[in-house]
Amino acid sequence: MVISNRISRLMENSSWIRAMFEEGERLKKAYGAENVFDFTLGNPITEPPKELKKEICDLLSRETSGMHRYMSNSGYEEVREQIAAFHRENSRLPFTGSHIIMTVGSAGAINVTLKALLDPGDEVIVLSPFFVEFMFYIENHGGVMKLVETREDFHIDVDAVEKAITERTKAIILNSPNNPTGVVYHEKEIRELAAILEKKRGEGQRIFIISDEAYRKIVYDNVTLPDAFNLYADTVAVFSHSKDLGLAGERIGYIAVSPRIDDQGLIDAMIFANRILGFINAPALMQRLVGRYQKNSVDVADYRQRRNAIYSILVEAGFNVKLPEGTFYIFPKSPIVDDVELIRVMLEHRILAVPGVGFGRKGYFRIAYCVEMDVIEKSRQAFLEVGALFR
Amino acid sequence: MIVSDSMNRLVADQEGWTRKMFEAAIQMRKEYGPENIYDFSLGNPDIEPPHELRKKLIDTICDPALGTHRYMQNNGYEEVRDEIAAYLSERTGLPFRSRHVFMSIGCAGAINILFKSMLNQGDEVILPNPFFWEFKNYVENFGGIPKFVETQDDFQLDIGAIEEAITDKTKVLLLNSPNNPTGAVYTKESLEQVAALLYKERKKGREIYLVADEAYRKIIYGEEPLPELFNIYDLVISATSHSKDLALPGERIGYLAISPNIPEVDLLVSGLMIAIRALGFVNAPALFQRVVAEFQRNSVSVADYQKKRDILYGTLMEAGFECVKPMGAFYMFPKSPLPDEVDFVFRMQQEERILVVPGRGFGRKGYFRIAYCVPMETIRKALPGFLRAGKHYIGR
Repeated sequence: MVISNRISRLMENSSWIRAMFEEGERLKKAYGAENVFDFTLGNPITEPPKELKKEICDLLSRETSGMHRYMSNSGYEEVREQIAAFHRENSRLPFTGSHIIMTVGSAGAINVTLKALLDPGDEVIVLSPFFVEFMFYIENHGGVMKLVETREDFHIDVDAVEKAITERTKAIILNSPNNPTGVVYHEKEIRELAAILEKKRGEGQRIFIISDEAYRKIVYDNVTLPDAFNLYADTVAVFSHSKDLGLAGERIGYIAVSPRIDDQGLIDAMIFANRILGFINAPALMQRLVGRYQKNSVDVADYRQRRNAIYSILVEAGFNVKLPEGTFYIFPKSPIVDDVELIRVMLEHRILAVPGVGFGRKGYFRIAYCVEMDVIEKSRQAFLEVGALFR
Repeated sequence: MIVSDSMNRLVADQEGWTRKMFEAAIQMRKEYGPENIYDFSLGNPDIEPPHELRKKLIDTICDPALGTHRYMQNNGYEEVRDEIAAYLSERTGLPFRSRHVFMSIGCAGAINILFKSMLNQGDEVILPNPFFWEFKNYVENFGGIPKFVETQDDFQLDIGAIEEAITDKTKVLLLNSPNNPTGAVYTKESLEQVAALLYKERKKGREIYLVADEAYRKIIYGEEPLPELFNIYDLVISATSHSKDLALPGERIGYLAISPNIPEVDLLVSGLMIAIRALGFVNAPALFQRVVAEFQRNSVSVADYQKKRDILYGTLMEAGFECVKPMGAFYMFPKSPLPDEVDFVFRMQQEERILVVPGRGFGRKGYFRIAYCVPMETIRKALPGFLRAGKHYIGR
């Protein structure tokens, strides 16, 4: 067989995604794409800021030579300096360009980080429900994923984390604002977690927090994202400009290694990993652009409007659901235990969503509401019909 | 220790001389000024993308449609793959369709997702030596085992040696022609012999894929066009990048072309779809996908590279170096006049301010690599240094 056994297993495990995708395509053909409510994809609707678009145009219109060549594997120095300045200001820690590594999105960033950290058999704690790619990333590098359930409200169950730590534990991935739940972790719970990890450090075991902050700019109301670097010394944060600058397809992100990690070896290993994993460097042109847009944000108002709309519809339809504090996902409880069955029923009403089992949590489902407002409004009737079935 | 043992071993693998050389080079640039250092160590071409491509880039970016920068299918835009498939069909006469093309983050990304999709723990990949060192990492990233097979004296394939290296675990033969570091271009005859060998092995139940790294395919100097692997063997997957032909190395854009003769193409594509996500590439950069589609037939000015090759090669001969004349890419791989080539490379650095790379960085001690993708002026200024080194170390 042309493909490896491992990939073949992964394909079998995700065969339901394909089945769903195909059913969705069938529905779109049958009823017209505008009459199918597709909430499956986290493909942000944000367009890059106008100034960024203008700048990229100006940049290319000028005659500059060498702008598409290789650069250092960690990225352009001046761009890393700009990003470091942003984090210096944010966290009041002495970030320099050498703490920043430009990467192929945050997916690339996490792979690079794990490649640098993990030996075969090392464990990485992931809080469930979770973005299923984390499992791929950990297994790529011979690591073992240890899932720890979050509490009923999807916040960190610190005791459960403590129980899950073994002597092989090397890192814990935190993803806040969270995909799929939309939860933003509070400063208090991260501090409690940090206290446990610091205790381990006292016993001679270093456990890293890998803070996936891909959605950091999409938070609502008065919620603020705590600064992970100040809450725990051994923090490596990964960022992407997919969501905040609307550049998902361009694959641009970075790693920020806390200046409180006193080890140049880690940074060197990450730069090396960037090379040998085949990324080589983050795309050149996009690097030049994003340096100056660290403080930019998406128009959260657009997403808030959509969040409020979908939340009201779900509540009206009788779903048990928590109001998300960030991201563009909402994670309602399924009225029946079998979430895949619920998804099948919703399909009949032309709603496409992802079952919770795809995020390690049965009995829930995920709606990605980064869609046109119109789609949300038109889906109301369908949600009400589905809700009525299970009343 | 923070960094994993596995990673430390990889770093240590090359730490010694690379680090030392790199630091010495930085020191020298400071001391003499970068313009007085003749750096032949990097495969980073000094050329610019074609004028029309730059224009296309500006048009695409200055008047973007909504959604230009969003995610697309993991294998890339359908219309881009269509256009590339049309080019491949025209080139090979085979029925390439969009599903046979998989857009990637450069050639390096292409080979990594391919190996992730194909290799089981312990599967063997045959690599003709000397070789681009990263191949070893790419194979080992996924638990594969690189099997090195020496090439002949002229760096052409040694078919007998390849035959001996084949086992039941062999899954892939990786060919890189035009070759980095030697500049060799494999002849049509030798590739046909490889194909005959692999068909013979198939009768024994061994299904071996030819993976071709064709990053330098447009840079060849001979009269003959590059032999078309797709027409020579059936189980061929080629990886290409637009780093060299369109001078876009920093933008990380390339693709895999899967032979329409591979029966399990759909299965392979499904595997690649997962692999590109799992490895964190997700998709090839959106903007540059759109830009490169219509430039498949474009090329760099091979004449410029050929002029550089001729001048440098002529000087090496005059100086008494032993070197196989390169027929492609922008590298040459002369024999070191000193048995320890690292020693020689350091002396070139210190005495002539010429930076080259020791052969052991490519699996072959006693040689060194010159990357001549540098401005002509750099070459001209370095020529006396090569001549002096010849006089001194070879003794003419």
